[in-house]
Amino acid sequence: MRDVFIAGAGMHPFGKHGPDIKLESMGSHAARAAMRSCGLSGRDCEALYAGHVFGGPVAGQRIGAQIGLSGKPISNHENYCSSGATALREAWIAIGAGMFDIVLVIGVEKMTDRIKGGVRPDPDDIDAAEGFIFGAGHALSAVRYMADYGATRADIAAVAVKNHAHSVHNPYAQYQKPISLEDVLGARAIADPLGLLDCSPISDGAAALVVASAAGLRKLDITSAPRLRACALVSGTVQRGLGDVNDEDVSRRAGQTAFEMSGLGPDEIDMVEMHDCFTIAEIVRLEGLGFLPKGEGGRLTSEGHTSIGGPLPVNPSGGLLSRGHPVGATGAAQICEAFWQLTEQAGKRQVEGARSALAYCKGGSVSGTDGASVTTIVLTR
Amino acid sequence: MHDFKSFRPDVFRATPAVLFASLCDACGAKCFPPRESCPHCGSGADPRTVELGTTGRIYSVTTVRQAPPDLPTPYLLAYVDLPDDGVRILSRIEGFDEAPAIGTPVALVASDIDRTGTDELKFAFRPAPQVGKDA
Repeated sequence: MRDVFIAGAGMHPFGKHGPDIKLESMGSHAARAAMRSCGLSGRDCEALYAGHVFGGPVAGQRIGAQIGLSGKPISNHENYCSSGATALREAWIAIGAGMFDIVLVIGVEKMTDRIKGGVRPDPDDIDAAEGFIFGAGHALSAVRYMADYGATRADIAAVAVKNHAHSVHNPYAQYQKPISLEDVLGARAIADPLGLLDCSPISDGAAALVVASAAGLRKLDITSAPRLRACALVSGTVQRGLGDVNDEDVSRRAGQTAFEMSGLGPDEIDMVEMHDCFTIAEIVRLEGLGFLPKGEGGRLTSEGHTSIGGPLPVNPSGGLLSRGHPVGATGAAQICEAFWQLTEQAGKRQVEGARSALAYCKGGSVSGTDGASVTTIVLTR
Repeated sequence: MHDFKSFRPDVFRATPAVLFASLCDACGAKCFPPRESCPHCGSGADPRTVELGTTGRIYSVTTVRQAPPDLPTPYLLAYVDLPDDGVRILSRIEGFDEAPAIGTPVALVASDIDRTGTDELKFAFRPAPQVGKDA
């Protein structure tokens, strides 16, 4: 497989945008910003990979027609919240195989005009018919986590405080103001014990990446760019027996695949963009990947272990909780952040000396399994 | 007279209430919901359908207070463990004033589905009397 690089990145700010801000215009905005960032023209871009969940048929082609890519190979990719990362993985495979030298990846989502009250599985999944929504699933996880490990409600809430503090310095983030522990604990109840600030918001937004081979970099006159070392994808497995619901076997397998593929272990990762769709999720997934000891993640978060300036910065962008979570866009936005961090363009949220980054997304659920899709991507300088 | 229908006859019989699982004779794995091929052993033999026990214990529980407009809140959702079958069920919980403690015994029932304009029944668990080992 050939080496594959990230040559450029661009975003449309995440937020609750009005009905006049369409999915196509956000996707186009992010794409053009990414192309401008590395001097890529529509003519020289060979393909487009679009990740989204609720954008309807051929959303990628609707964007492609706006930005000079009509006629090119365009495909649409859906893996619920891992859609953007899945689109990038497909681009990585194609470039690695020698099919293209320069392609565009766009993750995009318009949610505020079509999703109300919470996201949930497909209606034909029996969990959905029983009233399962993802917030409730994470509440069940939090209840068990506190019972099994003695973690406090405050330790879990600390994830939200940290991530909102990080995104004060992220101009693309949905929220750019700090919040206090009291704000999180006192927020409107969603599914006990989780409240509104334990949950990522409903968001609109887009993020785009220019992905290139070494020959593509030369064509763009770029002498060095961060390299994609691994784009791992696993699905959850059907669970057997009565184990620990927070065991995160799916995360362990995703991490193992990415670590083997990249030749790097958890100790060699300088920063993580983690899928904090809910506060408790950041904790259990970091533990599942082997970054933090089981049961210690909440306490370590409270102690600053995963803050910028700490031993392992997690979500310097603000994560899903504070950067926002337009579901198809998040996977691509995580790599935009990793790209800016590794090229020292992250401004006041810069992780000093970051040479390696890991980005993790978990999308969807299937009744009786430990998750639908998990992507784990490793990018290095 | 109404003929009350299960919302998913492949997974749940409403009268009397019982949940169906798939059992693989090659490896002994029991799965809920039932699967067409065994997800654990890949033996190629088709699993067969079996009935699960109807009593279990709360493994984790939450009170849902905000949901999409078609789900009236608050409602209780839980993981219920069926220890004799070694199977965990994600289910609505009913008949409690507030979320019960982890370990509370519960029993399977049929219950009106949230959607109006339909007589379909979903499964749920309600409080069960304590069952001793000798019962």
